[in-house]
Amino acid sequence: MSNDEHGRSGGSGSWAGFLIGPAFLVLVYWFLAGPDLAEIPHTKAVSVPASAISTAPRREILHDPPTILINGFKRQCMDCHSLFPPREETPKRLLQHKHVRLNHGINDRCRNCHDTENRNRLVLYGGKSIPYNNVVELCAKCHGPEYEDWLFGMHGKVLGYWDTSRGPARRLMCTECHNPHTPRIPAMSPIQPLPPPHTLRMGNPAEHETAEEEADPLRHALRVTEQILNQRKHPKQEVPD
Amino acid sequence: MSAANNPTGGGTGPEPVAPEVTRRGFLRGTLGAVGGVAALAAALSPLKDIDKEDYTLEKFLQKHYKEMTPEEMKKVLARIRKEVEREYKLSPHLRDVKPIDGVQFGYALNLGRCIGCRKCVYACVAENNQSRSPQIQYIRVLEMPRGSVDIERGNHHYDRPTVPDEDHYYMPIQCHQCANPPCVKVCPVEATWQEPDGVTVIDYDWCIGCRYCEAACPYWARRFNFTKPGFPRDEAKSENPCGLNPDMAYLSNRPRMRGVMEKCHFCLQRSREGRRPACLEVCPVGARKFGNLLDPDSEVARILAEKHVFVLKQEVGTLPRFFYYFDQEYPRDIPLSAFKTSATGPALPGTPMTGGEA
Repeated sequence: MSNDEHGRSGGSGSWAGFLIGPAFLVLVYWFLAGPDLAEIPHTKAVSVPASAISTAPRREILHDPPTILINGFKRQCMDCHSLFPPREETPKRLLQHKHVRLNHGINDRCRNCHDTENRNRLVLYGGKSIPYNNVVELCAKCHGPEYEDWLFGMHGKVLGYWDTSRGPARRLMCTECHNPHTPRIPAMSPIQPLPPPHTLRMGNPAEHETAEEEADPLRHALRVTEQILNQRKHPKQEVPD
Repeated sequence: MSAANNPTGGGTGPEPVAPEVTRRGFLRGTLGAVGGVAALAAALSPLKDIDKEDYTLEKFLQKHYKEMTPEEMKKVLARIRKEVEREYKLSPHLRDVKPIDGVQFGYALNLGRCIGCRKCVYACVAENNQSRSPQIQYIRVLEMPRGSVDIERGNHHYDRPTVPDEDHYYMPIQCHQCANPPCVKVCPVEATWQEPDGVTVIDYDWCIGCRYCEAACPYWARRFNFTKPGFPRDEAKSENPCGLNPDMAYLSNRPRMRGVMEKCHFCLQRSREGRRPACLEVCPVGARKFGNLLDPDSEVARILAEKHVFVLKQEVGTLPRFFYYFDQEYPRDIPLSAFKTSATGPALPGTPMTGGEA
């Protein structure tokens, strides 16, 4: 609108002043109808249940004295076992406790660890009876190096304060991760991973491999390694065409 | 607005000759002035949308973290507390935690143990109030084929029904808290620096968001807030609808703003009060170890002394405080007597070490 006015005022000596109005108008246009700001892609928020990031140990352990729930009643081992005197030899096939699968290497006798006389307790191989709370001492009899690592926090996990002068810390016991009957396999069994990231500027480098990188001898060696591993994993694919 | 030698309305200059006010001149000047003011107002109108609370004089004049006196820090903390209460409807336990004397933090990670479950990633996000949308995560878990350490080929997008995969191994990477940090050197405003306990921190109120540090970091450990951190709001909850962690510290996990960098800080709000970082506590396989490097009985110091330890990208000379290690093959070359001298290790309450009685 003021443009028209300016157009007719050709006789004015200082025309530059009249440009300020149009300049502002252009600015207004720029602010109101100019290009949008760069859009930030808002990825969907991934919420993880609190249970997935709980700090609880992987296994619940038996405390001293161990109790189990039978028909809704809390029972101790000796409630039944005091009725049956122990046999000379442990039978290899159990009629009770069928869920227990003993796969502990050469340690394949129940009474290597369980006290014959008092089933509420464990036994060291010298015959010394120890409570369930001291299971670490029992494991240490064979797994010495792991026990040493555990003592200094290098094996296993410690919860709580690193500075024990400021608060408590708790060193998880062997059986809080390992199943004592099948120590190796189920303890570190695969678990479902939490979702992958969808963060900004964190693309998958493997997807954008250039020809130059493709020709890298190290990459080539890696690809060959992966192929060999795959073939080992799925030997049927190895059949020549 | 109007030209100086143009005898328009209102232009009562000090000239001795009274200017002649013509109808045309008056209209022209008035129209020009009104149009100009209107245009100026419209041009500045986007400023209306700016939250005035975000740009207070107090905030503008706030000093650098290192220059603040305790009283000034108190005021700043009170201001941030008020902001958090207004924005996120929770009263945070916000404070400024100072480093502990005689403590150098170190972190060790057992690569032989890690199963790549990403629990550490999400425990960190929950503890440190990272933006959920867009996602910001401090820890990346790389999945790499067995038999090599080729970080460039590491994939952190792996999505398997179960982990670990038998042909791959997993390598979590986060801030290595370098003793010679390149990110600190490049910062043009000294908004990031290394603390006496070895943790590199950021004053979010001082950061200008130039992202030099992000480019300088060889471990890709720094994250940028491209936008205001977003949290899913649970409107049903009257208190803390965003589910933030109220345990906050000035240099660590207080809510960030748009345009600032952030990174792992070894959970300062926990570690400087003697606790372990969140990523460690959540690890289901006990692969993560944390402690005071200066204490020879600490977990990390022991690991450095006894395990096969390496650091990532050693050749760039950053001297990380984050170590990767493998369990040694047994039997070891360390005689048992070496352990006997240090008794039973640091005693922990609630853990039976000697048995037999009771």
